[in-house]
Amino acid sequence: MPRSAFLDLARPSRRHWLGYLLLAPAVLLIALIIVYPLFVSVDLSFQNVNIARLDQPRRPFTTANYERLFASEDFWNACWVTFKLVTIVSFFCFLLGLGTALLVNNRFKGQALARLLVALPWAIPEVIAVVIFAWLFDSSFGLMNWLFIKLGLVDQTINWFSSPDAAFAVVCTVMVWKGYPFVSIMMLAGLQSIPEDFYNAAKVDGARAWQRLVHITIPSLMPVIGVTLVLVMLWVFRDFSIIYVLTGGGPLKATQSLSIMTYEQAFGFFKMGYASAIGVITLIVCVIASRLMIARAPDNI
Amino acid sequence: MAGIRIDSVTKSYGGLAVLKAFSLDIADGEFVVLVGPSGCGKSTMLKILAGLEEASSGKISIGDRDVTDLAPGDRDIAMVFQNYALYPHLTVARNMGFGLKMRGTDAGEIDRRVNEAAKILGIDHLLERRPRALSGGQRQRVALGRAIVREPQAFLMDEPLSNLDAKLRVHTRAEISALHKRLRVTTIYVTHDQTEAMTMADRIVIMKDGVIQQIAAPDVMFREPANLFVAGFIGSPGMNFLKAKAEAKGGGATAKLFGHDVTLPVANGGALAGKDIVVGLRPEHIAAGPGQVSFTVAPRLIESLGSEQYVYVDLPEEHRREASAGGDDETRRTSLIARLINPEPRPPEETLTLSFDPARLHVFDAASGEAIR
Ligand SMILES: Nc1ncnc2c1ncn2[C@@H]1O[C@H](COP(=O)(O)OP(=O)(O)OP(=O)(O)O)[C@@H](O)[C@H]1O
Ligand SMILES: [Mg+2]
Repeated sequence: MPRSAFLDLARPSRRHWLGYLLLAPAVLLIALIIVYPLFVSVDLSFQNVNIARLDQPRRPFTTANYERLFASEDFWNACWVTFKLVTIVSFFCFLLGLGTALLVNNRFKGQALARLLVALPWAIPEVIAVVIFAWLFDSSFGLMNWLFIKLGLVDQTINWFSSPDAAFAVVCTVMVWKGYPFVSIMMLAGLQSIPEDFYNAAKVDGARAWQRLVHITIPSLMPVIGVTLVLVMLWVFRDFSIIYVLTGGGPLKATQSLSIMTYEQAFGFFKMGYASAIGVITLIVCVIASRLMIARAPDNI
Repeated sequence: MAGIRIDSVTKSYGGLAVLKAFSLDIADGEFVVLVGPSGCGKSTMLKILAGLEEASSGKISIGDRDVTDLAPGDRDIAMVFQNYALYPHLTVARNMGFGLKMRGTDAGEIDRRVNEAAKILGIDHLLERRPRALSGGQRQRVALGRAIVREPQAFLMDEPLSNLDAKLRVHTRAEISALHKRLRVTTIYVTHDQTEAMTMADRIVIMKDGVIQQIAAPDVMFREPANLFVAGFIGSPGMNFLKAKAEAKGGGATAKLFGHDVTLPVANGGALAGKDIVVGLRPEHIAAGPGQVSFTVAPRLIESLGSEQYVYVDLPEEHRREASAGGDDETRRTSLIARLINPEPRPPEETLTLSFDPARLHVFDAASGEAIR
């Protein structure tokens, strides 16, 4: 029986129909749960609303939220904190991630176990990780104070969560601990896709271990590094739970990142319009930053 | 440039012995081809020479330096890999100059040598491209270029032509030979293709299961194969093998082949009497028409290549060898191939008279497979 020419999706000329058909549910879902709230928040950021309710009539258009935002010291502080956090955490995540990946990429006994251990922090829920670290850094009976005193680094207990610098350091530590396994896993995947013969050729060419790392491994990993960097930076940028549970943004707003500030304005002070404005700025920065990173990713592989 | 001496090198992976007491002396400037079926340990030997694998035992010297436990970079050798292993993120020029750069040669000198090598290979217009923007043949040249800019003591090449198409392979084969004539650098070349081995080598080393079967110049290997394996491996199509029984006759030995008593070209025929032997006859040594020993056959199949014809004939039952476990394929065991040069067209159903010269026969001991002369 001949199939209806119109409905035969296997025909070359109809093949793309099937693609659209299969994509449709996902597109609809994304539109519903991402694009719609996005529009709502952009819309809100141009209104002077406190508690947003969809059944209320629109308030008049205003740019007051943005004017206030750019004049606010808190906002620039949050930007600075976020910037510091993104830079420091991404850097150490990469250092640790690449280092551990290179280690467990070697062939040795217990390699599978080592890989598991490297990836372990990733599997632990953020809040639980934070609770563990909060205990480690506790000012009166935490492990870190004990260790630091035993090692003679300090002579009295540090109150980690009341000094701005110490609190920032603790937040960074937790984020690096939580974030490096992802980098490690990505790098490991990248490492395993580098053909053995590149290394063989480099060895015959007389390259030492360090030269092989710089001239073969890193350049071959570049595409993976680019994508991973964007993902890690975005994660740090918008991570909320670690900072919120650990310090709540304090002390003295030393750990108040943009996402903490957004939350505080929206659900602490119920300034939805103002919070939306921060959210929109965050979004724009993220999009620009990731565009730059991806565009910069070398096209040589 | 220097000779290479390999002294009873063995290699085993766990319990698996991949190389068994491999010894080979290579003269300065010689072109030696390691050939053998897949998995016989050719690449392993080359990697041990390059220092990429450790030998289980034995000794290797290049020139008069013992390099057995030297890092690959300190052996002053260059290697061409089967998949070329060009670094994708570097331009052709930088790929070629990589080894010199790693050794701290100054930039001007690197440029000079890279340009010189590129001219020799005719790739000077490609220097600023990246490997992925090159054709297979061009990549192959770059890989060769990377080896020659280093001006090493020896070249090691592991099946460098196997990724090229048939025509380009023939062309590049000739180019590598010409390059070797020009540079005169000791070269060890690995292939599983006997044509490559025959055309390029000064000496062929033929291997099977990690054991050297014979070391000889191509012509010698073709004319005087040391055993059944070498006889079957060298030549295309391979040698025909016929099972027979030797009989003593007037000081010499004969065997009954196709119903004739044929005198075997062996020195001490008397000792052969009553022995099971295998008689080898190259397809090109069979001629159409009557001759010294003639027989009439009904061809099973005739393949014509224009300038030559392959005539496939069913072997009589008494000449067939026993099927060996995992040995040659069935058609080779049960048929005889004649290769007729400049043939006249003939219909396949017609019976045909073929002949051969008994002096051209090869005789092997059926039990050990060794040649008897
Ligand atoms: N790392 C390894 N571990 C265990 N066995 C190995 C290893 N490398 C090679 N072998 C074995 O050693 C034998 C020889 O391998 P080798 O690569 O030298 O073969 P080859 O002669 O180069 O074959 P080909 O023509 O297919 O390249 C093979 O049987 C192979 O399975
Ligand atoms: Mg091989």
